[in-house]
Amino acid sequence: MLEHIKYILNFEWLTNVAITPARGLFLGLFIVIGILVLLIPNDYIYEGVEERKWWHNLKLWAWLDLAFIFTVYYIF
Amino acid sequence: MLSGIDVFVVLFYMAGIMLLGFYFKKFIHSSQDYFLAGKMLPFWAIGMSIVVSDIGALDFVGVSGQAYRFGISVGNFDWIGSVPAMLLAAFIFVPYFWKAGLYTIPEYLGKRYNDYVRTLASLTWIIFFAFNLGAIFWASAVFLETLLDWPAWLDWPVWRSIILTAVVVGIYTFFGGLTAVVMTDVVQMIIMFVGGIAVVFLGFYQVGGWDGLVAKMAEMGIEHQSRFELIQPVNTETPFPWTGILFGLTFVMANAYMIGNQAVVQRCLAAKNEWHAKASMIWGAFLKMFIPVMVLFPGLIATVMHPGLEEGDQAFPMLIGTLLPIGLRGLLFAALLAGLMSSIDSVLNSTATLWTKDIYQKFIKKEASDKHYLNVGRVTTILLLIFGVLTAPVSKKFPGIYVAIQTFLSFFQGPIFSILLLGIFFRRITAWGGCAGLVGGITVSISLYLNKSSLFTIEDPFLYVSWWSFVAGFIITIVVSIFTKPHPEQKLYGLVYRLAEKNGVNK
Repeated sequence: MLEHIKYILNFEWLTNVAITPARGLFLGLFIVIGILVLLIPNDYIYEGVEERKWWHNLKLWAWLDLAFIFTVYYIF
Repeated sequence: MLSGIDVFVVLFYMAGIMLLGFYFKKFIHSSQDYFLAGKMLPFWAIGMSIVVSDIGALDFVGVSGQAYRFGISVGNFDWIGSVPAMLLAAFIFVPYFWKAGLYTIPEYLGKRYNDYVRTLASLTWIIFFAFNLGAIFWASAVFLETLLDWPAWLDWPVWRSIILTAVVVGIYTFFGGLTAVVMTDVVQMIIMFVGGIAVVFLGFYQVGGWDGLVAKMAEMGIEHQSRFELIQPVNTETPFPWTGILFGLTFVMANAYMIGNQAVVQRCLAAKNEWHAKASMIWGAFLKMFIPVMVLFPGLIATVMHPGLEEGDQAFPMLIGTLLPIGLRGLLFAALLAGLMSSIDSVLNSTATLWTKDIYQKFIKKEASDKHYLNVGRVTTILLLIFGVLTAPVSKKFPGIYVAIQTFLSFFQGPIFSILLLGIFFRRITAWGGCAGLVGGITVSISLYLNKSSLFTIEDPFLYVSWWSFVAGFIITIVVSIFTKPHPEQKLYGLVYRLAEKNGVNK
């Protein structure tokens, strides 16, 4: 019983997942976040801005962050 | 020991920061000015303040030491351990906290759930911050004692350094409140980046650039090649298997820290409007991605320049001694001191806010003038300062206390994030569901920690403990919510994501 609990708690059921698919999971997470950011309504993004400029679009900022971190995890 | 020029740079920096912070005294007229900077802060200052408060001299030494021992996998904490969480905070949590006009995160929990949850969360943070303050003061003192050549008449080791730090930080935090904290942090971040990047730049110059570092590491043997792998296998010998990084760090600890930590989120609540509140987190996430460059690369460079050190924590000091010329060494020490001072001022102001708003105003004196609460905030700051100074030597006498404090906080991280997450997304989650989820999650957390040697295979399973306590809190909250009565929908407007908008309110 204890061994079974340890197997679950220590994620031993994922031991066979190699580094490459694991890296794919990380990169996939960044892509999913990027898509979710895309789906946020524009009015919500610009809330508080009196005169909208392109650089007020926080989706672009978020994608810049995600592009940076995606590159880091892709390389390393 | 530093040269005369280096000491001058450090002392000039400390005096400058104190005067700059003191200057913001003239903007403090109400408790909102003191705790939330009058809700006038721009995104760039908040983002810089979040980043510099999050990192201190201990990180420079400790993270470099871990990079020396384990390689770049420790960088996960600032990369994947920050960016997704800060984006979630920026787009979902912070706008709701800001719109609700909150002063504290436990205040949100009180409105969304009930006062039991609010008080438990608030007391947890107060206890953690108060004891953490002593540990940071001690670190500052050790730091100053090694670099300053004190005059003979000040033969009062350690205390003179503790008191010097307390006076400098205390004066501007007491008088200038959050405005002074954030605006001094802006300067501190610039100094920290300049000092940190100077070390990396000179280090790379010495080892022949990135290619030289990789080639020299390869020459050191096969075991050093995994030092450039961010993602480590499940059965890694490092404390950072990818499962722990993904489930424990990315999904739980990072979110709990960026969304539930008063010292981080309080700055966003002080933004001048909702857009600035959101932008501050995304800008902070961008800056945060450069932190590993400053704290991690020195560890890698030291692996090549100073192989075979007994302790990884010796890597960074060794590198400073080898690389930096006179003058720059003083700048780097000023940068490290900047990290410590910004941590102290954040803790002081956030704890004063938690005490005044969640405990004093709620339970001790409900109907008092705004001036009264402003004074309570200031008195609390002074009392905390004294408490921090007096408890600083405890860190020396009981070296395990810093770890114990961190462990104490880790019990709450997973459960608190589970009720924050469920609370903001699902209106059906009830007050008693949240209360049971928090208490049940903490119980699971403590149980797992107490039995860690028999349940976990890695030495320090804090990432796994936080994940499983989050899962426990999550499930308990849902189950209890199913059997208990939710708040009326109108009461949840502005507290649950897009609930009001869906019902045509505020639109």
